[in-house]
Amino acid sequence: MEVVVQITFGVIAVFILVAAAMVVSVRNVIHAALWLIACFFGVGALYMLLEAEFLAVVQVLIYVGAVSVLILFAIMLTRQITGEGVRQLTNRWPVVLAIAALLFATVLAPTLINQQWNVPPAPPLGTPEPIAGPAELGRGFVNEFLIQFQVVGVLLTVALIGAIVIAYEERARRRKVLTLAEELELKRLREQTSPTVSEPVEAEPVVQESRSASER
Amino acid sequence: MYDILQALINGTFGWGWPDWLIYLISSLVVVTIILVVAPLQMLFFTYYERRVIARMQDRIGPNRVGPEGIWQPIADGVKMFTKEDIVPEAADRIVHFLAPCVVVAPTILMFAVVPWGPGMTPVDLPTSLLFFFAVSSISAVGLMMAGWASNNKFSLLGAMRAVAQMVSYEIPAVLSLIAIVMIVGSLSINSIIEYQAGLLISNRDLPGIPDLGLGWFVFTPVGFVAFIAFFIAALAEGERTPFDIPEADSEIVAGYMTEYSGMKFGLFYLAQYVLNFLLCAITAILFFGGWQGPGVNWLYAQAITPTNPDGNGLFNVLAGALGVFYFLLKTYIFFFVMVWLRGAFPRLRIDQLMDFGWKFLIPLTLANLFSAAVWVAFTRWGAAEGMLITVGWSPVLRWLAAFIITLAINIGVYLWLTQVYAASQAERRRVELEELSATL
Repeated sequence: MEVVVQITFGVIAVFILVAAAMVVSVRNVIHAALWLIACFFGVGALYMLLEAEFLAVVQVLIYVGAVSVLILFAIMLTRQITGEGVRQLTNRWPVVLAIAALLFATVLAPTLINQQWNVPPAPPLGTPEPIAGPAELGRGFVNEFLIQFQVVGVLLTVALIGAIVIAYEERARRRKVLTLAEELELKRLREQTSPTVSEPVEAEPVVQESRSASER
Repeated sequence: MYDILQALINGTFGWGWPDWLIYLISSLVVVTIILVVAPLQMLFFTYYERRVIARMQDRIGPNRVGPEGIWQPIADGVKMFTKEDIVPEAADRIVHFLAPCVVVAPTILMFAVVPWGPGMTPVDLPTSLLFFFAVSSISAVGLMMAGWASNNKFSLLGAMRAVAQMVSYEIPAVLSLIAIVMIVGSLSINSIIEYQAGLLISNRDLPGIPDLGLGWFVFTPVGFVAFIAFFIAALAEGERTPFDIPEADSEIVAGYMTEYSGMKFGLFYLAQYVLNFLLCAITAILFFGGWQGPGVNWLYAQAITPTNPDGNGLFNVLAGALGVFYFLLKTYIFFFVMVWLRGAFPRLRIDQLMDFGWKFLIPLTLANLFSAAVWVAFTRWGAAEGMLITVGWSPVLRWLAAFIITLAINIGVYLWLTQVYAASQAERRRVELEELSATL
């Protein structure tokens, strides 16, 4: 059984690493996002291997189902998706590589050398596994970690309000798409107010609007 | 399945096979059943929908292939297989190919946690309800991939609409489920079904009354509001008619499926109908007791179960058959309602859809969450939790008090919200008209 778990872990770990490497090396931004989703999925599988079912399911729900979709949304509103002709590396990338490797080594080498790796001994057979289910996690959130939980809540609310403020400013400048009924209403209003024929308001599709917003 | 095989192979035949082999065989059997049943349901649903919608539109519907046209879906399947598979030249080939797979795989995975009858759950996860919704949210990625990889404006628009709709209607769906989860105190679909045993007014409070399997959540105020909100959200998630904006054929051809042909298109179709089946099924399970119904629990009590290993195998079959019958009956009734809505309602506009979801359904389900908390406090809490009012009340009195209070809260919130919502919509229309007349 132990061997099977080791092999499964190896496969999942390689999958995650390959996916993560592809995220940063692929030129097409959409492909990068899709590799990122694969990477999230692999992390979910890793949680499943650790028998943390709840975390695995939440990982899939939040990262694969929500965060990645938002990322895809954001990418699709940008231009230059294919990334061709865009230089991803500077001319002096070997220098950057050396510095990055050096800094990484300064942090990691002492850890690797000095770490005792005191893995706790396996619990005697028959003891229930201390894996947090949803009930324990929930109790943790409202008891021990209440302050952190509240702070995160405030942070998210701030982000939400910020999004609303930005969207609201945009709305004032937006050119509206008219439905048939509204166009009729407008025509009637126009005939009432001014008998002279004025310039008709063009109904612009929404796609135009989003492009002009990104150009601004 | 494991229990039955274990009893059959090691008990009746006495072959003494090892555990892992029995596990393997039972898993294989279950997986095969799921993979066969899911497409069959889809085939039946296409026929069912076409016949019902035809009757509503004063037509006959498919009636040529076989008696009353029941082989029509199979003929359609053959047609799909023999069509040419076209990939647009400017499309992203790999992503275009992967998208239908990413859309279909989660819908089949969702079957893994759906209980068909007593003791007939393929995988009994402790967090199965969450699993169901987590996996269903993966298909949004597939839709996005299909829309983008086709390199077609209609596809992209359709995918954007589909995903925006799915993401915003997932919130009321999950919020209405949390109310149920709070009452049951578990995320397991099986324990939610078991909780709905008993009578109209929960039999766990009234001993000595036969178990009719009718303690459905829809009979409580909390469950009723949750059911309405969830069913509306399910319509949006399954892209059924009042919310079929993503594939509005009169506006954007077929949405994200525009550039697909042959069996790839068939796979999108499969995913959609299987998803509809699952949404109807989960509605039946959460609010209408799933396989619960008169007689099932009585039969199951005498069958072979982990707690009762020397029962009669015949009762397993009987209880299973009756349970599956009730379950499918409820599911098909909900699908009928979906088709009925398709026949009765026009399509919503995208801003109406978003307004309704965010400004009406979400506040309603939030208020319902509060009602669920009140319900739990009245029916289950005692002095230890600080609920001093109900100390010394009889269970029936507690139940009655919870019922009346939650009913009052829910009706009050509903009336208030409808007023606020109507006023805000009217105000918005007025402001927009003013803006229009100001541009003159």
